[in-house]
Amino acid sequence: MRLAGKQLGVYAAMLGIVGLFAAFFFYPLYLSIRTGFVYDGRFSFYWIGRTLGNSILTGKLLNSFLLAGCTTAAATLLAMPLALLSARRAFTGRGALSVLALVPMILPPFVGALSIRRLLGQFGILTLCLERLGWLDLSRQAPPDWTGAGFAAVVAMQTLHLFPILFLNLTAALSNIDPAYTQAAQVFGAGGWRRFVRIVLPLMRPGLFAGAAIVFIWAFTDIGTPLVIGYDNLASVVVFRELARAELTGRTFGLVFLLLSSSLVFYAVGKLVLGRPIGVDSAKASIAAEPPRLGLLGTIGAWVLFGGVIGLAALPHIGVILTALADTWVGTILPERFTLEHLRFVLTQPETRTCIINSLRYAGTATVLDIAVGAAAAWIIVRKKPWGGRLLDTLLMTPLAVPGIILAAGFIAMTVPGSTLERIGPLGNPFWIIVIAYAVRRIPFMVRGVSAGLEQIPETLEQAACNLGASPLRAVLTITVPLIAANILAAAILTFAFAMLEVSDSLMLAQLRVHYPITKEIYAQAVSANPDAPHIAAALGVVGMALLGGAMATAGLLMGKRLGAIFKV
Amino acid sequence: MMSTEIAIRGVRKQYGRGNKAVAVLESIDLTVAPGELFFLLGPSGCGKTTLLRIIAGLIAPTSGRILLNGSDVTDTPAEKRDTAMVFQNYALWPHMTVLDNVAFGPKMRGKSTAYQRQIAFEKLRLVEMEAYCDRKPNQLSGGQQQRVALARALAAEPKCLLLDEPLSNLDAKLRSQMRTELRRLIKASGTTAIYVTHDQKEAMSMADRVGVMHAGRLAQIAAPRMLYQSPAGGFTAEFVGQANFIKGRVNNTSPLQIETAAGLLVSNADSRFQVGAAVVCCVRAEDVMVLPDEDGN
Repeated sequence: MRLAGKQLGVYAAMLGIVGLFAAFFFYPLYLSIRTGFVYDGRFSFYWIGRTLGNSILTGKLLNSFLLAGCTTAAATLLAMPLALLSARRAFTGRGALSVLALVPMILPPFVGALSIRRLLGQFGILTLCLERLGWLDLSRQAPPDWTGAGFAAVVAMQTLHLFPILFLNLTAALSNIDPAYTQAAQVFGAGGWRRFVRIVLPLMRPGLFAGAAIVFIWAFTDIGTPLVIGYDNLASVVVFRELARAELTGRTFGLVFLLLSSSLVFYAVGKLVLGRPIGVDSAKASIAAEPPRLGLLGTIGAWVLFGGVIGLAALPHIGVILTALADTWVGTILPERFTLEHLRFVLTQPETRTCIINSLRYAGTATVLDIAVGAAAAWIIVRKKPWGGRLLDTLLMTPLAVPGIILAAGFIAMTVPGSTLERIGPLGNPFWIIVIAYAVRRIPFMVRGVSAGLEQIPETLEQAACNLGASPLRAVLTITVPLIAANILAAAILTFAFAMLEVSDSLMLAQLRVHYPITKEIYAQAVSANPDAPHIAAALGVVGMALLGGAMATAGLLMGKRLGAIFKV
Repeated sequence: MMSTEIAIRGVRKQYGRGNKAVAVLESIDLTVAPGELFFLLGPSGCGKTTLLRIIAGLIAPTSGRILLNGSDVTDTPAEKRDTAMVFQNYALWPHMTVLDNVAFGPKMRGKSTAYQRQIAFEKLRLVEMEAYCDRKPNQLSGGQQQRVALARALAAEPKCLLLDEPLSNLDAKLRSQMRTELRRLIKASGTTAIYVTHDQKEAMSMADRVGVMHAGRLAQIAAPRMLYQSPAGGFTAEFVGQANFIKGRVNNTSPLQIETAAGLLVSNADSRFQVGAAVVCCVRAEDVMVLPDEDGN
């Protein structure tokens, strides 16, 4: 009876989690696509058909796929050698370089895009340098735009921002491969490249999929970067512009449905092809993994590779910092004068200070919600292994496949003027819908982070405590929680950091300036005509970078290579 | 199948440098004859797996040479040594079927697809696993995985077979069954094999010769019976079989007589000792007869 009672508690908790999820994830999703299926008051595929029949829109959808594919491929190519070095070789400074490789994540790509234009734009630093060196004659030729025709610039910015996710994932996946598998292949005659292609790559497939899926969907639905770079030929930008219109039609939601179904189909196919678990008996390595130590030349090579990639990825950050500190910077390679005025301005002016405080409030509350729900869910799934536990796990991962703008569209539909929830809508006080939107989309990271910790702590440790007289709750609090505290904290920091970086929900759900978070304020500044706006936007970016840099470094130090486990889907 | 002589000359392995240096192998010299099933027997941490990995080329020795049929392979990378290893956890690649696992070795050695399949099936038939060729390793029991791992190693047609405690993951009953089976299969292949174990029963029942390892050194190399009956030192005597040890002092060399706390013991062993030398008498458990005390005291 007691056992049955305990199980009842577990199922009640599961039901509660599913209920919350249904109310704040599936219901808004349903709303975001429902209107797309209503025409003339009846259920109809009219809007879907119209969208599919519109060659311009389908062209943009295909272009979005192409863009996301290019970004994912480029990020994989960038991250793979770094991950191989980090996980499979020992060299001086490996730990520090692995943490530095995460630096690009502390800046939303669209903020970096602001500065990359200053670096690589028509009258950017590169052009000026080349002119100074005499390699370009601007009196004879038009200044070239090194960012390419928009598409390339978006891919570049997204790649530089997102490759650390793949780096973390691939490092974790590589660390989990039993060295005996590659050694066996070596003994049977497989050289380095063959071992990588035939053994390592297939075994790291689920990890690769996990990272690639996040990067692909992020790139597929990103609106900040293309908007700032001014590249409109994407489905996500069309959806954003449509949703920003005062009057929403079925056409908008038809497009939303296509974007959502594309994401879900990609995710499902990817999971089926790449993400299937490999039947490894044990995640534990059967032999001690002592990675070969690189010699002097190898170490220098590793430093050059890491340094090159980190340096390249840090260009936008350097640009943002320089812009924030520049007093006047027109037509010169470096600012003529430096000032702290812009930073002082954003920290003291009520509007900008409010947006920083708003971001901290939104991200902080979302993180607390995620810890409560995510940690409980992870504990139920890993420790209690109830019937339907795997389904709950899959359910909690689905937000990764759902574009932020679509969920935001659902929340807009949920809180339209005239509805009962109007007061917490974008035109009322959207605190709770922003918090919930942030929390829902980041809950997978919390569940994965805590699950990774729980899976590494043998259940027998809790059982030993119970055996010596501790109640189950006390065993969890005194044994398990201290052992996985680093995982919970690291997942919380990461959740917080990603919430602070959130663009889609922020751009769409915060409509009144008093509710703007940092990202929306940066966007507003970036598109404003104020001559000081780029400097103010950059100064806000610096504040965000400082907050997130600290958070990411703490998470990296707390979890090390296990940080990658958070991004498993 | 080729039969290869394996020669190990002065192999030493040390980890760390300076004050932190730890030697795990000290001047190992050993020759394994072509077609021989040689066992490295010793307790955990004695260096036997390290030595096996050095032979495979997975670990580089600090000094010393490894020779296969007289040719020095010390600096040859593992993939070019033509050895095949059966790992302790079998290391069957989980993403490949049984057939793909077994065909991997010939594939890497550039054999034709037809030959890869032919030899894979042949070896799977040898270990009675051909019916499982389409399964993935996680669909097999421990004993079946062990057989596939052996088939994979044999299919590579290696110069020598290296087995790292291949039976340690099996239950006692299966382990006992597999001992006879494994010896039969290895001997049938004719390959020179080095087998690492800490289980003396395994070594004594399967080996042609056994090298007992202790603290990074080879304490004794002998045939199992010889090892049991004439251990060269206290460690071998204690590690192999059960024995009683009685300390004493030689008081006569012909016949050899030892004065002990249990009284005067007489031995048939050839005396290597001088009168007055401190010695330890080793008496195997089966050599101790227990009789009723007829005096009743």
